[in-house]
Amino acid sequence: MIIRIEAETDIPIYTQLTNQIIEGIARGEIAAGDSLPSVRGFAADLGVNMHTVNKSYHELEKKGIIKIVPKSGAIISPSEQMSEEKKHQIISELKPVIAEALVTGMNKKEIQGLVSMILEEMKEK
Amino acid sequence: MSFLIFFIITVFIAVIQTAIPYLVNRAVVFGVMIPERYLKDETIKKYRKHYSMSVGLLSIIILGSYIGWVLSNERLENQIALTGAIIEFALIFISLSFYLYYHGKTKQLKQQNQWVENLKPMKVTDLTVRKQDEMLPWYVYLLPILSTIGLLIYTMLNYDLLPDQIPTHWGPSGEADAFTEKTPISAMQLSLFLLLMQIMFLAIHAATKKSGIKLSATALESSRNRQLSLRKYSSWLLYIVLLGITMLMSYFQLMTIHPEIGEGSVKILIPFGFLLLVLIGTLIFAIKVGRSDKEMETAVEAQIMDLDEDKYWKGGMFYFNKNDPSIFVEKRFGVGWTINFANPLGYIIVFVPLLIILLISFL
Repeated sequence: MIIRIEAETDIPIYTQLTNQIIEGIARGEIAAGDSLPSVRGFAADLGVNMHTVNKSYHELEKKGIIKIVPKSGAIISPSEQMSEEKKHQIISELKPVIAEALVTGMNKKEIQGLVSMILEEMKEK
Repeated sequence: MSFLIFFIITVFIAVIQTAIPYLVNRAVVFGVMIPERYLKDETIKKYRKHYSMSVGLLSIIILGSYIGWVLSNERLENQIALTGAIIEFALIFISLSFYLYYHGKTKQLKQQNQWVENLKPMKVTDLTVRKQDEMLPWYVYLLPILSTIGLLIYTMLNYDLLPDQIPTHWGPSGEADAFTEKTPISAMQLSLFLLLMQIMFLAIHAATKKSGIKLSATALESSRNRQLSLRKYSSWLLYIVLLGITMLMSYFQLMTIHPEIGEGSVKILIPFGFLLLVLIGTLIFAIKVGRSDKEMETAVEAQIMDLDEDKYWKGGMFYFNKNDPSIFVEKRFGVGWTINFANPLGYIIVFVPLLIILLISFL
């Protein structure tokens, strides 16, 4: 799976990493049980600080997407039954984005179209 | 004999120095990063051509004069050697001067044309690229290391056979020309040096393996091909050279114990063979890696480029990037590796063993 990081943008590199790995899993480019590169190797390949990769891995672990196993590295966890708490979190993150879209000029239909387009994209591979 | 050796080495240096602009990483011109879409610029092509023609022509003149000088009169061996060494340095100095000149010109060109102004800088990697890495496994180094330990034991078992004066240095013709008093330490010295060198090579190998596989956002496949070729073939070259060194030094050590194996032409052929092995190996390596990113055409999509890392490269030659955990990175002008001077581990691996060897030799 190819990771592309924008070097000069307001979005921090670790956030870009986290988002791209999650998208990669959603698209099926990497699957549960696959391991991510070691922090050192990943950082060296991208030419970024090891803390950046570490931060992203910890974020992914907190979200329950990967499991960091000492010595064998970071392994993608199988998706489980979603907890109520998690569901609430997703809703609270999605709500302001949809609201912003509505306020800045998108209509309901366009937003629905956009969501299904993104979902299509994720299913492709 | 000295003449032949110096001549071969100088021709080798001249050929490599002349060809460098065509063997370096495709996206770096005279140590300056150029976005993929501008690589076909006519001025860049001109700079490359001028550099190669100047260095090539001067090399031919210098080499021609060297041959003329040697043939015109009876020359002493050490005169030939000294002049040969001076000529080698002169060649390196000349190509370095031309490099610096064109480095400045290319930098200017990039700035004047604002080549990086409107492109979005990207960093890219492939999560599976490390699985494609074909560097030799570290344990192949056990073979020469064990053989040296064997040599050390063998030397000590045959301590009585050793001469009272232990040779410590050998001339180009394989003849020992410096000696030291026989003690258990001086008897072991050569094998210990060899062992230290093997450990240093192993450390370099391990550090290279850990260093980053740098991919280009605009030329993904050719950069992947080049990085993987560089890693694979440099690990082979390093190992083959180490095997050569091990054989050469073991041969010297055995010759000290059993002088009869050094009789006749072997004495000349073995060091000469070693020299040829290193030169031909390096040449094949440079061409293999140098070609590895030139064959694939890349279509440049969107307004993107690779992150401009010129600021981490002093003079386009010395890399200082404290955010990059890599110990070694690909050279910008040349084929091979250079160390990340911002990473202290690199100093330990490269300079500490050299320092120890120098210290022991001079104490």
